[in-house]
Order: sequence, then structure tokens, then C-alpha cells
Amino acid sequence: MTEEYEVEFVDLGEREATFLVRPITPAFANGIRRAMIADVPTFSIDTVRFIENSSVMFDEQLGLRLGLVPLSTPPGEFEEGEEVTLSLDVEGPETAYSGDLVASDPMVEPADDNIPIIDLKDGQRLELEADAVLDSGREHAKHQGGVAVSYRHLQTVEVVGERGEFAADDPHVLRGVIEEQEADAAADADAQNGDLVPTDAFDNDLTNRYPEKELDVHDIEDAFVFNVETDGSFDVETLVLEAVGSLETRADELKEAVQL
Amino acid sequence: MMVPVRCFTCGTVVGEHWEEFKARTREAEEPEDPEKVLDELGVERHCCRRMLVSHKDLVDIVAPYQ
Amino acid sequence: MSYKCSRCKRDVTLDEYGGVRCPYCGHRVLLKERSRDVKEVEVE
Repeated sequence: MTEEYEVEFVDLGEREATFLVRPITPAFANGIRRAMIADVPTFSIDTVRFIENSSVMFDEQLGLRLGLVPLSTPPGEFEEGEEVTLSLDVEGPETAYSGDLVASDPMVEPADDNIPIIDLKDGQRLELEADAVLDSGREHAKHQGGVAVSYRHLQTVEVVGERGEFAADDPHVLRGVIEEQEADAAADADAQNGDLVPTDAFDNDLTNRYPEKELDVHDIEDAFVFNVETDGSFDVETLVLEAVGSLETRADELKEAVQL
Repeated sequence: MMVPVRCFTCGTVVGEHWEEFKARTREAEEPEDPEKVLDELGVERHCCRRMLVSHKDLVDIVAPYQ
Repeated sequence: MSYKCSRCKRDVTLDEYGGVRCPYCGHRVLLKERSRDVKEVEVE
């Protein structure tokens, strides 16, 4: 009962990507989205031991800031619940940055080095030890690997006629990704039917791409365009593969459980 | 007090852009347009943009009273 | 109990009878110093 899915990347960066998956149902698309947010574990600081804190902020405030710093999480190296210790020792006058955190395990380190933690004045000092724990977004939002994960239908534009001679000259705004079906009518000479075109390529205004045409926009029922960003704990590819992997594991578990 | 580490709404890390944003829009001899700076930093959504635009460092103001 | 006088910045030890007052300068505002223990905080 294995189905084939077609995945096509519209844009792929280290921390953000846009890709098309088809054919899938809305339920499955939402399952993938939720898995990306809640089921892919990342490291985050969970307990902080303050040895010295003479800064202007309270221990708890600094703890919160430290917890939100994304830490790199290599997939498959750690079990959920495992801990890694980090330490920080900065003396003023200087700013303590996330990059000043020193990890006991080189695989787990701050993903961004220049997040200011606290500005220390002359004579102030911050020394602490922190335990980072591997957990999922289900437990706490700081463990979410994916931020701003969304999806929407792939759309297509149909030319239904010429624009009326005296019709209003309004922009026709559309956001998302369209699948080219009317290459002949497109302003872009290289356009071919079947191309995936992000709408920002024509400034989100269909009248730029199909001038002087009357248009009809449809959703393509079984095709979904995902927009994924990670917090830097890992790259987008890891996030998506881990999310789909966790869905698969759970589906297998269910299958096992139901079979007597 | 200090810049928020992440955007309150979407959770994107915004703190890492603060120092550059501050240097270019507020402390430079000829301040740049914040809109342009945010675009260049890749802070796209308006929820993340307001985090930086509306922020004011207060540590220097509080420090003498410790 | 060890405190620090907010005016003369000297360490002050209070006993039961002296009342809240710095024995060196007579100032009545005393600050409690942070303890030297390691403080563990759960991040939530």
C-alpha cells in the first residue's frame, strides 16, 4: 500500500525552504506541519545554576533568555531526555552573548553567536552553569525546531478571456505558488506549462504576469506548498525528514498495536 | 531592558540582529532607514520587525540603581 | 544577619537589640546582600 509522493523544491536555503508535495490530503499535510512543530526534538537550556550574578537582571529573567537560545542538535546522536552541560563566565564591562556559552559536548553549541544575553557594567559579573535537555515542542515552545511552518494549496491560473476595454485597472493580488498552465498568455517569454512560479516573482500581482486577461484562480486539490523555517537547531532538510520519520514511526506503532 | 531573544508571535530568533540594527539605524552618523535595514537583515514578517523597531535598551538607565 | 549600609557601603551585622540602623553612620536603610550559594533556576 505504498504511495508515491512527488516533492519539488521551489526554494531551498539552510534555514528556510518552500517545497511542493503531491498528491496528499489536507489531513496529511497538517500532520506533517504539526510533526515539524511539536515532534522534532531540539536541545534547549532547562536548568541554570547561577554561581554569580551581579547584573541588573534577575536570575529567572536570565534563565528565560538562555532557554530561548537555539542550540544545534545533530539528528540521531542523542536520545530524548539526554542532557548536555554548558557554562558561561563573563565579567563587565562587556556584553554576555550566546556565543560565550561553552558546551561540554562540541556537537551541541549555540546556533547563533551574537544574541545579547545581558549587558554587564563595570564590576558586574555573570557566572553560571546550564543543563540543556533534548525534548520536543510538545513539552515547551523553546524546544520547537520549526518556527513559522505553514502550508497552502498550490494554485493555478486560468485565462477565461480578454480583459474588458473599460474594466478597472486594479491589481490582482495573489500570494503563494502557482503552477503555470497558460504559458502562452504569460508575460515571461521562457514560461512553460507545468512551471512552479512563486508569486513574488511577479510582485504578487497577476496583472503583471498576464496583462490584459480576465483570470480565474483555482486551488489544486491534492497539491500543497509548504513554507518551512527552522530556528537554527538544524537545517530544513533535517527538520522535514525527522518530522516525516516521526509520523512513520507512530503509524507503524499503531499498526503493530491494532494487529492482534 | 535587553532585546527579546525571540519574536513574541512567531518564535523566530531576532536578538542576533539587534546590535547591527541598532548600530545602523540609531547610532550611525547618518542613520539608515529601518525598513531597508530590516529587509537586508532578512527580518521579513511584521511581527518580528516590530520587535526591533519598538525596542529600547534600558540597562544603562537602570544600572546606577543596583 | 549580614547587611550592607546603603549610605556608607560598609558591612553591618544586626543583633536583636540595636534596631535597624547602621552602627557606623546611623543610616537606617540597609541592603541585604546576595547569598554566596549557587542558585538553581528551572527555566520555564
